[in-house]
Amino acid sequence: MITGELKTSYRADEQVLNNRWKRGFVVAALAGLVAIPLFGNNYIVLIACQMGIMLIAVTGVNVVIGYTGLMSLGHAAFVAIGAYATVIFHNAAGGVIPENLLTLVAIPFAVAVSALAGIIVGLPSLRVKGLYLAVATLSANFIVIFLIEEQIFAPWTGGMVGINTPAANLLGWEMESRRELFWLIAVLAVLALLAAQNLFRTRVGRAFIAIRDRDYSAEILGISLYRYKLMSFAISAAYCGLAGALFAYFYARILPEQFDLHLSLMLVAAIIVGGMGRTMGAVYGVIVIVMVPEVIKVVFGALAGGGAELAMIRAPIQEIAFGALIVGFLLFEPFGINQIIDRALRALNRWPFARG
Amino acid sequence: MGQFLQFTINGLMSGAIYALIAVGLVSVFKATRVVNFAHGYMIMFGAYFYFTFAVLVPQAAWAPEWLQSWRPEWMLAMRADLPMFSPMAAVLDWLANAPRILLGLAGALVCNAILGLVIERTLMRPLMGQSVFAMIMLTVGLISILSGLAQLIWTSDAEFVPALAPNTPIRFELFGANIFLFGTDLANMAIALVIFIGIVLMVHYTKSGVAIRATAEDQSTAYSMGISVPKVFSRAWVLASTTGAIAGAILATRNGISPALGLFGFSVLAIVLMGGLDSYLGVFIAAMAVGVLEALTQWQMGGEWAGIVPYVAVLIVILIRPHGLFGSKEIERI
Repeated sequence: MITGELKTSYRADEQVLNNRWKRGFVVAALAGLVAIPLFGNNYIVLIACQMGIMLIAVTGVNVVIGYTGLMSLGHAAFVAIGAYATVIFHNAAGGVIPENLLTLVAIPFAVAVSALAGIIVGLPSLRVKGLYLAVATLSANFIVIFLIEEQIFAPWTGGMVGINTPAANLLGWEMESRRELFWLIAVLAVLALLAAQNLFRTRVGRAFIAIRDRDYSAEILGISLYRYKLMSFAISAAYCGLAGALFAYFYARILPEQFDLHLSLMLVAAIIVGGMGRTMGAVYGVIVIVMVPEVIKVVFGALAGGGAELAMIRAPIQEIAFGALIVGFLLFEPFGINQIIDRALRALNRWPFARG
Repeated sequence: MGQFLQFTINGLMSGAIYALIAVGLVSVFKATRVVNFAHGYMIMFGAYFYFTFAVLVPQAAWAPEWLQSWRPEWMLAMRADLPMFSPMAAVLDWLANAPRILLGLAGALVCNAILGLVIERTLMRPLMGQSVFAMIMLTVGLISILSGLAQLIWTSDAEFVPALAPNTPIRFELFGANIFLFGTDLANMAIALVIFIGIVLMVHYTKSGVAIRATAEDQSTAYSMGISVPKVFSRAWVLASTTGAIAGAILATRNGISPALGLFGFSVLAIVLMGGLDSYLGVFIAAMAVGVLEALTQWQMGGEWAGIVPYVAVLIVILIRPHGLFGSKEIERI
């Protein structure tokens, strides 16, 4: 609880960043973001870009799992649809739309296609929930990846061997280096986070939370499950589609296997680690999920010094660490890092009086 | 018509193995209300344990000679008189492997039972009484742990493992069509069906089976009637992991051992949901149906399309009947 924040108007109470601590934190975080491309080396920019893309997707997953309470294990499919929609749009509309505007049209197109796919995949959520929905979305993921790999669609998707992706071009600004692309990713990620934070003080967001807490009670209160569940799926798929579009611009080539079950599990793991149903949870979760394999890589590099044997066991160790993160947080801190930080802030705020 | 019958029979044989795997998932769900997403990876461990005890251990320097290849005098004498490729020779070859097959099965059963117990005791039990979501996500985390561990332990490339039964080709005529089968496949199907029926009978008629059903019905009532619910939980997990071990051994002889075995579990998950999570009959029918559908898809559209048959089927069934073909409806009260 933050004390000493006396609000004198409704306007102040309704703000997205409703106290000065939050505002200060956001300003500091933005300053840190600007510092990355100006002062960071290539490695830091690479990791930051990966985090930004993941963050957008995880925010989307948080909408559907964390806020609406619909279990989904198939969100990598929407990232895939976003990425492939961008590439296909570039290849199809390359001659029709001027080069300078292509990216500006392609990203909304990818988001729209993903949202549409989200509505279709979300249809089972009207009939089933919980476990059945998890398996239904998992099936959707397998089917989407299969269709992308299928020979019939290979002229458009490139099939199993993947497809080369275009570079982003914002009104003539050709973003070829990762440092340039970072600006686009960072701006979109911050906007996505703010939009998510804002969503949950609107009627729609409150309806989502009501559905999560008890769906039948929500329906009795006059919330149309039919409408809001599909809306939740559409919004989260749109986020994932945006992440997919950036994914396509960021990497020189995309492969179907990059979007398989492992990515879906990573997205879910990130919100379990970070804290479900909290906006900042996605941020903490993404930082941990992206950093842990990197830290293991660095540690192994220092230990092995290029030894082949240690390098062989690095990938399995990374995989075990990933699973251990999920299991550990579920067993010992089910509300994630967000809860730990809240507790620490509370203790700091009340110091030297009551802790906890 | 001949092709159709051949592929249908092939489908029934893989359907029986699906049913064997599914029985583990259903038993754990019935007892604990948890669906084990990592079941495929437990099967993979079973396959690797079978490989260890049937191939690696007999090859070791300290293992006795007869374990690797058992050739008593009378077998050599019999073998000498037989022509090449005779069915009897195949049986004798299998008999020479019998000691290591038995050791492999026993080792896989024991090790997988321990694995199931450890998972239940250290990971699932602390979450007892918490939300089902947490328990299911925990099994999702288990996927990565198990697949990473398997890569750490069994770094060597998987080799050929001995089949569970003599691999004699069998030919016969059915409705005027020539059918061609392998003895191993037929034996695998028989093993799978016997175990499936055995478990269904056990759950219906034995004391511990009744305890599992009572726990499925109502946990707190079962507790108050003197049933040790934690014991039921660990029994269900052991049941799942041991049936998984046998399924793993069968799959290892059919498709070879690879980390991709874990993915097999997801298609079985789809089958289980299709049949209804708590109905052995529904799951059996779904497993057989998907097995046949897969084989027919393979025949008509090629191998790669067969892989997504279970997922498409489960989506269609769930949209029409949300709780599967024979699953009981959950009644929710506010």
